[in-house]
Amino acid sequence: MLMEPLAPAAVSTQVQASALWLIPFLPLFGAIVNGLYGLFCKATNRKAPDTKLVDAIALGTVAVAFLMSVYYFVTLMGRAPADRSITQTLWTWLDLGGARVMDGVTRTTISWAYKFDALSACMALLVTGVGFLIHLFSTGYMADERKDGRYYRFMAYLNLFVFSMLNLVLGSNILMMFLGWEGVGLCSYLLIGFYFDKEAAAIAGKKAFVTNRIGDFGFMVGFFLLFMIFGSLDFDTLMGSVREVALRPELTIFGVTKATTWWFNVAGIALFVGACGKSAQIPLYVWLPDAMAGPTPVSALIHAATMVTSGLYMITRLNFVYANAPLALSVVLAVGALTALVAASMGLAQYDIKKVLAYSTVSQLGFMFMGMGAGAYAAGMFHVFTHAFFKAALFLGSGSVIMACHHEQDMRNMGGLRTKLPKTFWSMLIATLAIAGIFPFSGFFSKDEILWKVFEGWHSGGHTLNLVAWLMGMAAAFMTAFYMVRLMVMTFWGEYRGGGHDPHGLRAPADPHHHDDHGHHDHGHGDHGPKEVAWTMWLPVAILAGLALVAGFLNIPHSLHWLGGSHFSEWIAPLLYQKEAVHAAHEAAPAIEYGLMAWATLVWAPGAMLLAWWIYKMDPSWGKAKAFVAKFPNLYRWVHNKYFVDEFYEWAFIGPCKQLGAQLWAFDAWVVDGIVNGAARVTILWSNLLFWFDARVVDGLVNLVAWLLQQLSGGFRKLQTGRVQNYALVMFLGFLVFAFWKFLA
Amino acid sequence: MTAWYQNLPLWVTAVPMLGALLLLLVPGTRRRVFELGALAITLIDFFVSIPLWFQYDRASAAVQWAFSVDWIPSLGVKFAIGMDGISLMLFLLTTFIGFIAVWCSFTSIEERHKEYYIWLLVMQFSMLGVFICQDMFLFYLFWELMLVPMYFLIAIWGGPQKLYAAIKLFLYTLAGSVLMLVGILAIYFLQKKAGLEPSFAIERFHAMAPFIAQQSKNFQILLALAFFIGFAIKVPMFPFHTWLPDAHVQAPTAGSVILAGILLKMGTYGFVRFLLPMMPDATRTLLPWFLTLTLIGVIYGALVAMIQKDMKKLVAYSSVSHLGLCMLGLFAMNPNGITGGILQMINHGISTSGLFLIVGIVYERRHTRMIADFGGLSKAMPIYATVFMIMTMSSIGLPGLNGFIGELAILMGAFQAQPWWAVAATSGIILGAAYMLWLYQRVMFGPINETNLKMKDLNAREIAYFLPLIVAAFWIGLRPQPVMNVLQKPVEKLVMQINPAFYQGQALTQLHREAAMKGQAGMIAPGHGSDHGAQSHGEVHGSEAEVHGGH
Repeated sequence: MLMEPLAPAAVSTQVQASALWLIPFLPLFGAIVNGLYGLFCKATNRKAPDTKLVDAIALGTVAVAFLMSVYYFVTLMGRAPADRSITQTLWTWLDLGGARVMDGVTRTTISWAYKFDALSACMALLVTGVGFLIHLFSTGYMADERKDGRYYRFMAYLNLFVFSMLNLVLGSNILMMFLGWEGVGLCSYLLIGFYFDKEAAAIAGKKAFVTNRIGDFGFMVGFFLLFMIFGSLDFDTLMGSVREVALRPELTIFGVTKATTWWFNVAGIALFVGACGKSAQIPLYVWLPDAMAGPTPVSALIHAATMVTSGLYMITRLNFVYANAPLALSVVLAVGALTALVAASMGLAQYDIKKVLAYSTVSQLGFMFMGMGAGAYAAGMFHVFTHAFFKAALFLGSGSVIMACHHEQDMRNMGGLRTKLPKTFWSMLIATLAIAGIFPFSGFFSKDEILWKVFEGWHSGGHTLNLVAWLMGMAAAFMTAFYMVRLMVMTFWGEYRGGGHDPHGLRAPADPHHHDDHGHHDHGHGDHGPKEVAWTMWLPVAILAGLALVAGFLNIPHSLHWLGGSHFSEWIAPLLYQKEAVHAAHEAAPAIEYGLMAWATLVWAPGAMLLAWWIYKMDPSWGKAKAFVAKFPNLYRWVHNKYFVDEFYEWAFIGPCKQLGAQLWAFDAWVVDGIVNGAARVTILWSNLLFWFDARVVDGLVNLVAWLLQQLSGGFRKLQTGRVQNYALVMFLGFLVFAFWKFLA
Repeated sequence: MTAWYQNLPLWVTAVPMLGALLLLLVPGTRRRVFELGALAITLIDFFVSIPLWFQYDRASAAVQWAFSVDWIPSLGVKFAIGMDGISLMLFLLTTFIGFIAVWCSFTSIEERHKEYYIWLLVMQFSMLGVFICQDMFLFYLFWELMLVPMYFLIAIWGGPQKLYAAIKLFLYTLAGSVLMLVGILAIYFLQKKAGLEPSFAIERFHAMAPFIAQQSKNFQILLALAFFIGFAIKVPMFPFHTWLPDAHVQAPTAGSVILAGILLKMGTYGFVRFLLPMMPDATRTLLPWFLTLTLIGVIYGALVAMIQKDMKKLVAYSSVSHLGLCMLGLFAMNPNGITGGILQMINHGISTSGLFLIVGIVYERRHTRMIADFGGLSKAMPIYATVFMIMTMSSIGLPGLNGFIGELAILMGAFQAQPWWAVAATSGIILGAAYMLWLYQRVMFGPINETNLKMKDLNAREIAYFLPLIVAAFWIGLRPQPVMNVLQKPVEKLVMQINPAFYQGQALTQLHREAAMKGQAGMIAPGHGSDHGAQSHGEVHGSEAEVHGGH
């Protein structure tokens, strides 16, 4: 009558790799060793662990994980495209028993399993590779923490993050992905709040976590629905059965019959809500700028290169859902375009160097989602990689700058660092050119590919939304180039404005809310000017910049095949859902594609850069910018204050929620508990009443009887006089009465 | 006569009582004897209960270790004991929490040690008794007996309003129990109507289910309500929950730990064991009402917890929310939901007990539980901070820790039954993250003041009693399967009792296996000649797929 337990669903034809699990578990091992040993030292009042040893464990484990990823990547390359998947099942994570889904009865069995395929291979390389560079950078950047015994904790968190992120990308089912998804959220929370004695950092960490939870809510609903449709959460099972499901005209779930696309749309949109949380899209992007309160390497690793791209990875991984969910894709496109534009505009008016980069990240993530929304998953994913390189370079570079300027983050207090930090400067310049989309830097290839695909959706598909999105994307690209040059000019050109030298009066007014990401202010550096940072810091930046320079050649667009290079989109094509078979060769690249490329890289982006150069470099007092602000004070105020979105959320959601809590608490105390206490009081009152009744009435009756008897007996007692004469008299009277009565009768 | 080791449940239950009798003989002034003695007794009890885990036959849904002797033959009362997987898990949870509750009391209890530890042991005895009963009469006896030690634990060693809280707890839950007793007697006498010799055997009560379903609608509903209110007060479900915050706030730490860890589970256990299998039809009729209360409880508890100023009250209200979630799982009435509901009972026992211990630690050091009095404790107490963080994450359901597995199973089950329930309950989970992290932030993060800077971090004893909880939290989070295996068959049996048709339908396992074999090959559109080789044309297909995927 009951079903047999079945072997884990992820039984697969592929070779079981015996060491694949080490890729995620090595960093976990590092985290556990460093974390527990550090705690042990604290508990026993020993000296904090030797930081060299901590470095060796933390960096060593990530490095080995990277090398193993390379090994398995090479293994994959040696296989036919259809076989490029290695899975390893470690154990049955959970089996929740039978479940009735759309088609029948299944078992809710989830394996703890890893899957190394074309997509996760690239992500694993990115996470371990960029992760290693950022670990290396941290060894220099966290120099102060080396001394005060918190260093082990930082490194343990970073390793734990790498573990979680690898679970996210290597997990072979949605629940494993969710495990990593939440794990990176936890690490983000811990690392943002690393300087927990600072209120702002602690609040920012909590905000990130809770906002992400709202997203997770959508994510969970999304995968529950997928489970109801497919009866499984395993990626291989989903991919293997999706075509059959998608071909049905309608599905009946929960007794509701709707078109298949309707269900896919709902699932797709719900999952996208999760992506909005993790990847900081409107309306859930608000946590990311605040997350900059964490140490700068964290911003580079988590809030630029890896964690925030989880949403993109998820959509690409589940592209077969989105391919059958046109409305969901439109939502992705619209939200992506809006985010790209709005966030870029916010970046225009920030002075905190990390805030500019944070908004830039939100905006670039918007670009990636635009790519996804246009159905160009490969292009969107490719931008994930190029962005990881150039944005990590920019963030780490900004970290070097911040450190060189004695933990100063306001760009108004920098300037002229070009000659003082030449290596950092050149690396960041390359990254700036890449993000602005100048040929042949990597950003050109990835961003233009996205914008072209969006445009093509209108050009050959006739979707108006695509045209609107494309226009927004172009505007955002313009702003990107502008604010990046603004950042570079403010930081590296002009004269150094730290150390009391400020001829144009550009320094920031003394700010009580100092946006310093560091816990220490008392460094005693004196007034010696900024110097180039140690090799452990500039080298990772330089390597990332080098990657930003050449990575574009990993995915040369079809129209530029004559350039050579390789083709990332081919590499992940076996994982992308084909709606129908296509035999015909791709048509020749249309002239319009060339035209748009030339326009973007020769006119549009350089134009924006020149404009910024003209405003901020040609005029050292920034007079034009100031005049503009003076002319449109309100516009500036809105942009500078991020359109007051945070304030709106506080007013519309958080405040009311707390208020509701307070009201319910009053309700609880007065009404719900009031009824209980009231019942007690009524009982006591009632018993008082009864006691009164008992004392007065019931007992009164008893006493009345006694009293009556007493009264009566009192009367009779009077008769008992003891005198014979009295008794004789009574007898005589009685005799008289008796005689009289007899006589009458 | 069976060997003693084949009758372990009985022995495990008897050990604390025998120990209590032994401690009675010791003069009251010898504090250390009572502390270490009670700890030894509960630890022995725990270790003696471990073999049960291995003895249990996971392939069977039947009651195991069954043992029965006549007790009051004229009434059909037997001294019948035995356990299935559901009881076993809660039984083990009780012995597990038992020694932790004793261990955490060493420094916090300052007076009348003899009585205190004896009452703790009696408490454990009566709770263990509830889980091994296979006779309704015996069950009711233990069920009521539980109240007595808890009453004294709160009324003697409690906070400033201890008498109010203790009397409230006693009377409120007694009111529910009496209603339940009426229900029990109704079913008992119904057996006569069914032409059976009346018996209090739980098996017989389960067998009465079809006959109860034939009775009039009103009778069924009244009967179900009698049980429902009895259990709902114990859980406690909204709006029967107000005794809980008072009891928790006034109780000593160990009292709170036992209350949250095990006593509340009696209510949910009652639903699993009695209401659902005995009156599935009536439950289904009343389900909209039950669910409304459940969902209100989940969200209401979370919202009220959010604004609490007292840490202990906050944790108490979070219990209301979490147990609402348990109830949601049970009311989903499918394997995922029920498994999740039972697992969440255990998880809540681990994480909320942990949280009460955490509150107890700072209360012992500062004699205040007000959140506003703390801040920045991470600096002074790094190990405490780590433990607190793990328990917080366990409580808000972070994957990899125990809370997640339960929540996931409950929500999946609820979603399968009725998606809107799961959606509504999820908002309670979001709020859960908000209030727990806010608590953590206010207590552990931010600047620290002079007084708090002097607070001592956890000592060896405190680490020692947190360690088992942490290990359990990770174990259930990472490898819950051994626990699931124990629960699997009893849950299947329960689902069959509730809904015999549940498992009928096309089995998808084979289809899924085939689909998994196909894997990414499923992405390639049919009609695509495989001889082309995706390598050479991959780019073409890839970009085509993208274009088509667009709209």
